[in-house]
Amino acid sequence: MAEEKTTLRSVGRPRSVDAAQASLALLLNLVRTGAATTRQELERRSELGRAVVADRLATMIELGLLKEGELGQATGGRAPRQMRFRHDAGSLLVSAIDQSSIALGIADLNGQLLVEHHEAAQLDAGPEAILDRLATIFDWQLRETEKPAPWGIGLALPGPIEKPAADFETVPVLQTVQSWQGFPFLDRLSIRFGVPIFARSGVQTMTMGEAKAGGGRGLSDIIYVKLGRSISAGLISEGQLHRGAQGAAGMIGHSRVGDELLEAVAGAEAIAREGKAAAEDGRSPYLAQTLERQGELSVVDIGHAAQLGDLFCVELLGKCGRLVGEALAPLTNLVNPSLIVIGGVVAESGGDSLLAGIREAVYRQSHPMVSRDLQIMRSQMGASSGLVGAAQVVVEELFAPTTLQGWVGQGSPLHHPEFQKSLERATVALATKAAQPAGRVAP
Amino acid sequence: MNSKTPGDTAMSIAGLGPHGERAVPAAQIQLTQADAAQARARRFSIAVVLHTTTSDWSKQELAGIAATLGLYSAALVEVVDCNFDFELQVAALARLAREKVDAVISIPIGNARVAEAHRALTQSGRRLVLLDNAPTGMLPGTDYASVVSTDNFGLGQSCAAMLSAHIPQGGAAGILGYGIDFFATHEREIAFRKWMGSHRPDVTLVRERFADLDGAGPAAVAMVDKTPGLSGIFAVWDVPAMKAVQALAQKNIDIPITTVDLGNEVALDMARHGMIKGVGAQLPYDQGSAAARVTLAALLGLPVPPWVALAGREVTPSDVIEAYQVIWHLPAPKAIVDSVRAATAAQNPVGRH
Repeated sequence: MAEEKTTLRSVGRPRSVDAAQASLALLLNLVRTGAATTRQELERRSELGRAVVADRLATMIELGLLKEGELGQATGGRAPRQMRFRHDAGSLLVSAIDQSSIALGIADLNGQLLVEHHEAAQLDAGPEAILDRLATIFDWQLRETEKPAPWGIGLALPGPIEKPAADFETVPVLQTVQSWQGFPFLDRLSIRFGVPIFARSGVQTMTMGEAKAGGGRGLSDIIYVKLGRSISAGLISEGQLHRGAQGAAGMIGHSRVGDELLEAVAGAEAIAREGKAAAEDGRSPYLAQTLERQGELSVVDIGHAAQLGDLFCVELLGKCGRLVGEALAPLTNLVNPSLIVIGGVVAESGGDSLLAGIREAVYRQSHPMVSRDLQIMRSQMGASSGLVGAAQVVVEELFAPTTLQGWVGQGSPLHHPEFQKSLERATVALATKAAQPAGRVAP
Repeated sequence: MNSKTPGDTAMSIAGLGPHGERAVPAAQIQLTQADAAQARARRFSIAVVLHTTTSDWSKQELAGIAATLGLYSAALVEVVDCNFDFELQVAALARLAREKVDAVISIPIGNARVAEAHRALTQSGRRLVLLDNAPTGMLPGTDYASVVSTDNFGLGQSCAAMLSAHIPQGGAAGILGYGIDFFATHEREIAFRKWMGSHRPDVTLVRERFADLDGAGPAAVAMVDKTPGLSGIFAVWDVPAMKAVQALAQKNIDIPITTVDLGNEVALDMARHGMIKGVGAQLPYDQGSAAARVTLAALLGLPVPPWVALAGREVTPSDVIEAYQVIWHLPAPKAIVDSVRAATAAQNPVGRH
């Protein structure tokens, strides 16, 4: 009966409580993004009355979301007091997991990275080991650097991430890492810290990171290409990250080069394999020496050899660059970016020969209008772009107007009723799973 | 029998750079004859900004920088001692951005507080090479040329492995950590914990922090008092380690300690078979020399890797004299040599001839 009443009331005129949440959310986002910071500007931009604005601001100061800052520019009369967003009201935990390394950091609520740590890790050590390592370092970083309690986790994973069915719902199956399938990685991490978690593919967070703090700062159309063991691309078009229908946009490593996949001929492993062959048959004396000394070769050695002038390695990296460039050219014609950023271990070690190869192919195969002002550069952020991007994902999710309306009145997203329900559901589901007898039960 | 040679004791590089970069070993940064000739012809001027110039580490770092720059006719025109004060560093960088120097080698004091001043120096057209760390948010290429550092992660792992031998099954080990947001000491502590977690999960870890050096002794004593059965301590560098040794000795406590850097006092304590059982040492002279080469390469417009690292060197009481020579490029002081001889004689009273 009670339920029926509520349903009826939400039809037609908004409830006053809904309206209040909406105005709180609107004002918070105006201040947070710097679009309006004085009371007068806020009244004008929000089209809310003076009394309402005053009341909402007072509420948010009390909740610890806003504070009064310095005096702004006077426009006749007294100088107005600026409102400031309390970006230290909470913190964001961010992590980027890759095939052979993990990165972790803490960001403030503006998505600004405050601390970061990178270390080698093997993905095939299994989800339990990685989960444990993440929790240990997050605990340590929070305690050691005395940052405020977390409001959310942003996670970058190697491979595409499906879109969840509803807000605060974690993705049930990680398609990305085969051996992780069925392991409740996101649920476990979310429960461990009691905060919502948002995941994206590594290449998508790196694209967002480059757009926020790297070469793409201030640009609205960029392509980021990650050249590692696998090859993939991320796209920001007109300021928005393009995720695709299944969240799997950008798998350019699967385009064909002859009979092979691009990543099978231009990925890190392919380059190392070619290098090894050249070391063995004498085409590269430098690599032969390195192989003898180390017993193995990686793309890093080939990049170093190219820098020292080893002709075979210069040509190999140039060729890989051209192959990647040929895959990028149609994409460039399609979206007309102002910048292409090349990252990943192959880009880091590949030096100028690789970049020259990419440029050659892209410029040759693009329409003159498209290539006229196009810049192609190597990433300067390295793996930090994944962390900055992961923080940006959480900021965008938590402060998305509809989500924000669900928690702004309580002062923290941790009190969002939908999040609390989903946390409860996940906890129950995990407990049920844990209670089941271990091992296979005969049918 | 100690079969280790200096070659064996050089560790491989375990840590990743400030942006997750894979390290380029310092030995790979070399100038060709043509580069060297060009550098000599251009007579570069370079300034160095350090947190302090009084420590053993700083003196050796400077010696490495000065000697290597000299080889390429580059003048070291100023050395700034910031006395651990970030405001002094900010002021010094602002001044250098207006002076006639081509490049600056600097060790950032703290994290975010000095980032802007370093950035401004690069924007003034001078080349910037950082030692040990890049403040969070600064980017190679745009904000600085390169970071040259010892593999602090590897040093932490090494100290854990050396301490582990002194911790009984199910025992406890303590970490004497630095209470300031500082990348190098953070990396050492994270690595120490990681090594213990994966190799010695039976060991309970406890931790005390000190914010200034005078707090290190009391913190070590407090840790021992609070943790019955504490069997060893890892101190994040040598100066607090020796503060701990002194404070503990006053209370008649004898406990194995491992630490980072072979300062004179630590070397003497090891030679006397005191509490210090092992050291993961940086090679500051070599680091300084590498930083100088990277700076010259950057000034010549050559591509420089964003993260250049040097492996540390493990030192145990049995090879403290030889390690001293490798690390400090000097003969070990007489007190250390005499102590090692006395300790060896005590162990082998008959003697072998």
